[in-house]
Amino acid sequence: MADGEGARPHGLLRSTPVRQAIGVVTLMAVVGAATTTVAFLRVREGLEETIRTSLDQTAAGLSTARTAADLRNLVVAEAGATDPELRIIVLVLADGRSVGNAEARLDGGMPSVAPLSAERPLSDHGYEFRVIADDRGTLILGETREGIDDISAVFIAQAAFSLVPTLLFSLLAALAIAARSARRVVQIEDVLGRLAAGDLSARVAEDPGRRDDLSRIAGRLDRMAAAQEASVAALRQISADIAHDLKTPVQRLALLLADLRDQTDEGSPGAALADRAMAEADRAVAVFQSLLQIAQIEGGTPKSRFRAVDLSAVVATFADVYGPAVEDGGHTLTVEVPPQDAVWVQGDRDLLGQVVANLLENALRHTPGGSAIRLSLRHDGASAVLSVADDGPGIPAAERPLVLRRLYRCEASRTTEGNGLGLALVAAIADLHEARLDLSDNAPGLVVSLALPLVAPPAAGADPATAAWTDAPCPLAPAPRPPSVRAD
Amino acid sequence: MKLFLVEDDTAVADYILAGLRQEGHVVDHMADGRDAMAQAVANAYDVMIVDRMLPGLDGLSLVRALRAAKVMTPVLFLTALGGVDDRIEGLQAGGDDYLVKPFAFGELSARVAALARRPAQQATETVLVAGDLRMDLIRRTVRRGDAEIDLLPREFALLEVLLRRKGRVQTRTMLLESVWDISFDPQTNVVETHVSRLRAKVDRPFGRELIRTVRGAGYKIDG
Repeated sequence: MADGEGARPHGLLRSTPVRQAIGVVTLMAVVGAATTTVAFLRVREGLEETIRTSLDQTAAGLSTARTAADLRNLVVAEAGATDPELRIIVLVLADGRSVGNAEARLDGGMPSVAPLSAERPLSDHGYEFRVIADDRGTLILGETREGIDDISAVFIAQAAFSLVPTLLFSLLAALAIAARSARRVVQIEDVLGRLAAGDLSARVAEDPGRRDDLSRIAGRLDRMAAAQEASVAALRQISADIAHDLKTPVQRLALLLADLRDQTDEGSPGAALADRAMAEADRAVAVFQSLLQIAQIEGGTPKSRFRAVDLSAVVATFADVYGPAVEDGGHTLTVEVPPQDAVWVQGDRDLLGQVVANLLENALRHTPGGSAIRLSLRHDGASAVLSVADDGPGIPAAERPLVLRRLYRCEASRTTEGNGLGLALVAAIADLHEARLDLSDNAPGLVVSLALPLVAPPAAGADPATAAWTDAPCPLAPAPRPPSVRAD
Repeated sequence: MKLFLVEDDTAVADYILAGLRQEGHVVDHMADGRDAMAQAVANAYDVMIVDRMLPGLDGLSLVRALRAAKVMTPVLFLTALGGVDDRIEGLQAGGDDYLVKPFAFGELSARVAALARRPAQQATETVLVAGDLRMDLIRRTVRRGDAEIDLLPREFALLEVLLRRKGRVQTRTMLLESVWDISFDPQTNVVETHVSRLRAKVDRPFGRELIRTVRGAGYKIDG
């Protein structure tokens, strides 16, 4: 696998293996922290128990005194031998004076202590207190919490020097492993994208030595792509063979008819028959050509040829081409394009032109004279919507999806011209462009609209498709001019 | 003109040969791509007409090989396939024009004539003349005799193409390609309506027909 191929940093965080790795390490961290915390709490509880036991024992030792004087003497003796940093023993007498190894008094029930002198300092860690009050005075006993603080420090140190490095190391290792499989996933994704875009030669081509799930998926993907490529190649070959085998005889027929026409006197019934025969041959060829074209588009025309196309230029060109024919047919054509100059979409200029032409011809063919046809282009959010509307008889809602099928013709239009392939070709071209095709009621009439995603205008100096194929057969082609401007 | 036809279907080849010879061209013919390669390199033809499906060496490979060997004779491809991809493939292989079968002989003849290299034309030509009609390309005006003719831009473009190729037939599809840059043949007679409007302004008021209809082929202005 190529290093770094497809391993985009922003994509990495979104990849499943990396997310799972982060998840596992997070779980490890949580479990580690939880067990450490539980252990800490158990140890602290044990220490507190020890402190309480010690206080109990001290209290029990002092409880042997019968009188206040005995207790006082006992406290003085005990306190003298006890380091107040570890344990505090103070007796507050009824008159308010106190004896013991520290200054102590009760503040609202809570004992507060202070050292007797600088030689006998108190603990910095605080004390666990026990207060026993009776008629002999108030006994304040305190046991240092130093042990508990020490054990906290031990646990914190353990976490810092053991748990955190372990977690960091596992995180890095997991991320490295996950990034590796994420790169392979991204590579598979790239291949899928290229296949979807029509590049059927795309393959993952994993090292055959690998035996994991990803390599199985990659292997199957490659086999599927190979099968798809082979079947498209076969389809193209079949199309080419059929085209050749069918068109060659039709070509001979057309040439013979032309020959016959040349040898027949102008204006004679024979000439008229020859003309009709030629027209029929043309019609058969047109049907065949359309079927072939639909098959070719559906069979995977490469999108690699797609360029940024200015739809408003396409609309203007076809409005210009069809304008006089529409008027001569007794129809009216209005054209609405956005006031901005260009409407850019990604596609094939010829095929998009074919869409406009087919929709206009469809409207012309299936509406009575005097009908109004509206060709329009507008922005709708992130889409460019191209639509052709008429006020003719329209198509019943139930029949609308059917007219997109090959060779389907509405009952009402059986008698009119057309071969039932115009809209099927439009649908195939719409699919190829990932455009949404809608047929709806124009009340009255039909409106067919095609919504294509807008794209950014091509960079200056790029070769947009408005320049057309550069090797067009005619070197004299002047650029189409806007139809509404009159020459001087 | 000296032409070279490479086509393996005998009936089609015979018909094309007869038609082109009748028009006064000298035409050589071969059916095999490999033989045609040697023939094309050894002779200076004005235009070659090459079928894409050939025995021996297919048409695309033949033309690619010729272009690699610096043989720049204009090539018109004949093909049974008419898809956009097929046309672009043909042009990329070094073909100059493309004709989908079945075609009318008039279309073939007009396209062959259009491909033939003409004696160096004045690229800086600013006025096109035919009979008493004058087109000024700088001022974008058209006069016939003393009368100024007011044309729409598309009518001007159409007339300009016909004048520039004076004496040669322009078919409907050729006009669609050169005036509007459209490479497919619409079902509706769109070109006829444009030409008839142009005639209504350029010919009808003057009683003398300049734009002629060539039956089975297209239109031309006589040189």
